[in-house]
Amino acid sequence: MTAGSGYRQARWEEPPIWDLARRPVAEPAPAIPGVPERWRRQEALRWPELSEPVVVRHYTRLSQMNFGIDSGTYPLGSCTMKYNPKLSEVVARRAGAAQVHPYQPEATVQGSLEITWRLERALAKITGLPEVSLQPAAGAHGEYAALLMVRAYFRDRGELGRRTEVLLPDTAHGTNPASASMAGFAPREISSKDGCVHLSELKGALSDRTACFMLTNPNTAGLFESEIVEIAEAVHAAGAMLYYDGANLNAILGVTNPGRMGFDVAHLNLHKTFATPHGGGGPGAGVLASGETLAPYLPVPRVVKTGRRFRLDYDRPKSIGKLKTAYGNFGLDVRAYAFLLAHGEEGLRRISRRAVLNANYLGARLGRRLPRPFRPLVKHECVLSGTPLRERGVRTLDLAKRLLDEGVHAPTVYFPTIVEESLMLELPETESKRELDEFAAAVERALDDTPENLRAAPISCAVGRIDEVRAARAPILSWKDLRGAAAKVETP
Amino acid sequence: MVRWISEEAGEEAALLQALGIASADELFRDVPKRARVGRMGVGAAREEPEVVAEIDRLLDRNRPLGRFANFLGGRVASRYQPAAVDAIVSRSEFYTSYTPYQPEASQGMLRALFEFQSLWVELTGLDVANASLYDGATAAGEALLFCRRLHEGTKFLVPASLPWEEKSVLANYASGPGLSVVEIPYDPRTGLLDLAFVRAAVAGHDVFGVAADVPNGFGGLDEHLFELKATIGDVPLAVLADPLALTVLEPPGRYGADVVVGEGQGFGIPPSFGGPLLGLFACRKEHVRQLPGRVVGATVDAYGRPAYALTLQTREQHIRRSKATSNICTNESLMALAFVVYASVVGPKGLAALQSSLAEKARTLATALGGTDGLRAPRFEAPYLGEFTIELARGSAAAFLDRLRRRRILGGHPLGDPRPGAPAAPERILVAPASNVGDKEIARYAAAAKAWAAARGGAA
Repeated sequence: MTAGSGYRQARWEEPPIWDLARRPVAEPAPAIPGVPERWRRQEALRWPELSEPVVVRHYTRLSQMNFGIDSGTYPLGSCTMKYNPKLSEVVARRAGAAQVHPYQPEATVQGSLEITWRLERALAKITGLPEVSLQPAAGAHGEYAALLMVRAYFRDRGELGRRTEVLLPDTAHGTNPASASMAGFAPREISSKDGCVHLSELKGALSDRTACFMLTNPNTAGLFESEIVEIAEAVHAAGAMLYYDGANLNAILGVTNPGRMGFDVAHLNLHKTFATPHGGGGPGAGVLASGETLAPYLPVPRVVKTGRRFRLDYDRPKSIGKLKTAYGNFGLDVRAYAFLLAHGEEGLRRISRRAVLNANYLGARLGRRLPRPFRPLVKHECVLSGTPLRERGVRTLDLAKRLLDEGVHAPTVYFPTIVEESLMLELPETESKRELDEFAAAVERALDDTPENLRAAPISCAVGRIDEVRAARAPILSWKDLRGAAAKVETP
Repeated sequence: MVRWISEEAGEEAALLQALGIASADELFRDVPKRARVGRMGVGAAREEPEVVAEIDRLLDRNRPLGRFANFLGGRVASRYQPAAVDAIVSRSEFYTSYTPYQPEASQGMLRALFEFQSLWVELTGLDVANASLYDGATAAGEALLFCRRLHEGTKFLVPASLPWEEKSVLANYASGPGLSVVEIPYDPRTGLLDLAFVRAAVAGHDVFGVAADVPNGFGGLDEHLFELKATIGDVPLAVLADPLALTVLEPPGRYGADVVVGEGQGFGIPPSFGGPLLGLFACRKEHVRQLPGRVVGATVDAYGRPAYALTLQTREQHIRRSKATSNICTNESLMALAFVVYASVVGPKGLAALQSSLAEKARTLATALGGTDGLRAPRFEAPYLGEFTIELARGSAAAFLDRLRRRRILGGHPLGDPRPGAPAAPERILVAPASNVGDKEIARYAAAAKAWAAARGGAA
């Protein structure tokens, strides 16, 4: 029991919401005049009737058993868990932002259209790619859209029958190969060299069958792909498109950009670089940025400015069409725009300088205790390996759980998969030196703790170590399943 | 400059000193000169009050829904959001957290998502639900791919009455694997599915799934749904359902749906100019390994206490990569939280009462519009709940709606595909009274429609 921070998460023995009220009496739903009886729900919705204070206390207690950025350091690599500015929350809740329907006439939504248009223009400058759409709902949705655009482009050129492959490095985020598959391509992984793209291997893999090469730069090992210009030349020489996964853009603002590096199309995550809150899993907001070649294929509608008016333009004959209902996640766009206005040119540059400084500092300090599989100069994140823990009969997973007892979140673990027992750490620009030092000290305390304590961790969270194997072996996924399990016990 | 970037006195110098470098610029020496950029040109930083003032100035150019008599609905609903929903969603332990990769530290969100999944299971009459998708349209796209994993074939049948936006999203989801979306014609009088067409199409042995929506794209309730599963046999049935409608209607699981998807925004989520929305997805237990997206399961901790975690992750992109059931990573967890809080605050009786009240408003409006020259309301002879379609015999939907807007009425959503080159279609408008519409607003709508008719009298 050596938790150094004195951290204790709330531990409510809060019952599930359906146990907070007596089971409702089974009765039919009310009849609706004009609707035939056969439509009528015979058993009204099985959900508790509760007073508002009971509901609010229930979810407040649940919230107290949840760790957010406002609770403490959240060093998830590749997730860019930076502070979510409160002013963004305020502006997104204004009636002019929240209480606006997407299908209102254009004349009544000029503000939403202008914010969208301005954010798109700013992101075009930041990415160096001239055309931007905010329609994707999240990063993976943007990847998918980009690949559909690549698909449409090669179809128009009559090359789709041949260009069936999408290449990606073995360090790629899992969404990359998944998006490529969904878009109808055969993903093919290229093995890395020292954590970076192996240029000669890439050249060997590129052919007239290649539709696209997907890359994030800096990559998931935290390394900048210094041969990016050569990579772009090789991809284009093969007639293929180069796609930028913008998950790690936070490291390069104002230093380089996807357009300058030679990428044809990119997605960004507003919930990473532009600090929109991730909501415990979502919502996100994806940005789709495109160079001239693929721009005609962007989804409709596009927001255009005619004179002083803004309107939705559907006249894009080559467009892939729609990706989701209505337009993008405007509620996130307005938050990101506030973030952008507050930072301006200099602020954006400072973000990357500080984020990279933090990652290098943390890497250097923790590199004294755990092996660093790649070169020490990193960008937004650093990767360590927990292999030395094996000698003591523990694993990276145990270290991660032990960190939870320190009042911090754990880093991303077991990714990138090319590193054994990997830990991927990212503490962006909003984290102070004090927090970096405290986090590093927490890791050091955890490393010095006994194997027994590491395996017993966490002891300070709402629950102890969770049996995830059991969850997957006999899945219980709803109240209905719980009722079924209870019925089995009652009637042997 | 607002103080979000850490800038405690001297700390940057200390960090540089620890690394033995003079400037952070040295940390970018691996970025080649050929890839460097100069100024981005995004303007200077502003202080917090200026940022708020600037955004407010822009938002003032919007006219929010409160300024209108509002009849906009369809997939994005205009309903009151109880204050308690935002109070919970605004708790930063929830909204500033990431996907619960460390379940021990994230029980709150996991439990809320488990409750959310349970609610969608109860509403649909199916067995398992996932922890959300982006929105109703992408959930329909995932349903298409899900059906293909269950059944051979290249064709997915969808009602021709489906909104064009959804057809376009579905066409995108179908395009990757080389599948096609085929439209089921509707009866011109009722707007209901042509079952004979479905029967004939399925007999061709190339249909891998059939979709239908409740209510349909015209707002109607299609009684053919009760016979649809018997018509298509072992071909999977996907139902796109409105969650509020399901509080009063038979759950689709009772009439053979294999997957039920929907748009959850109407449950406590503001319209926000179209997003974030909430995609709902449920299926039968035997198909759980084909489920797309995250799912929360109940288990126990090391002490045998109830605990929750993301589970069945071998279906997902971060484990299965190119063989995953979907590429989705970030979903709409916070919106799922809003959904379950909304349903719990309003309660089953309150939800059914809301649906009844919206249905009554729609009926009152249809009655009030009856006899308006040049306008049929409702256009289709089918039962409906809170929305129906009107059709103009002359003039354009855009001109009609513009006329209403001038009288501060948002008269509905035109159903036509606005893309140039789209096939010509009748001038139809989906009308859905918002939850705050009363008799006065309905009377204003009817008066405006009659004024439109009078102004156009004989001008066909």
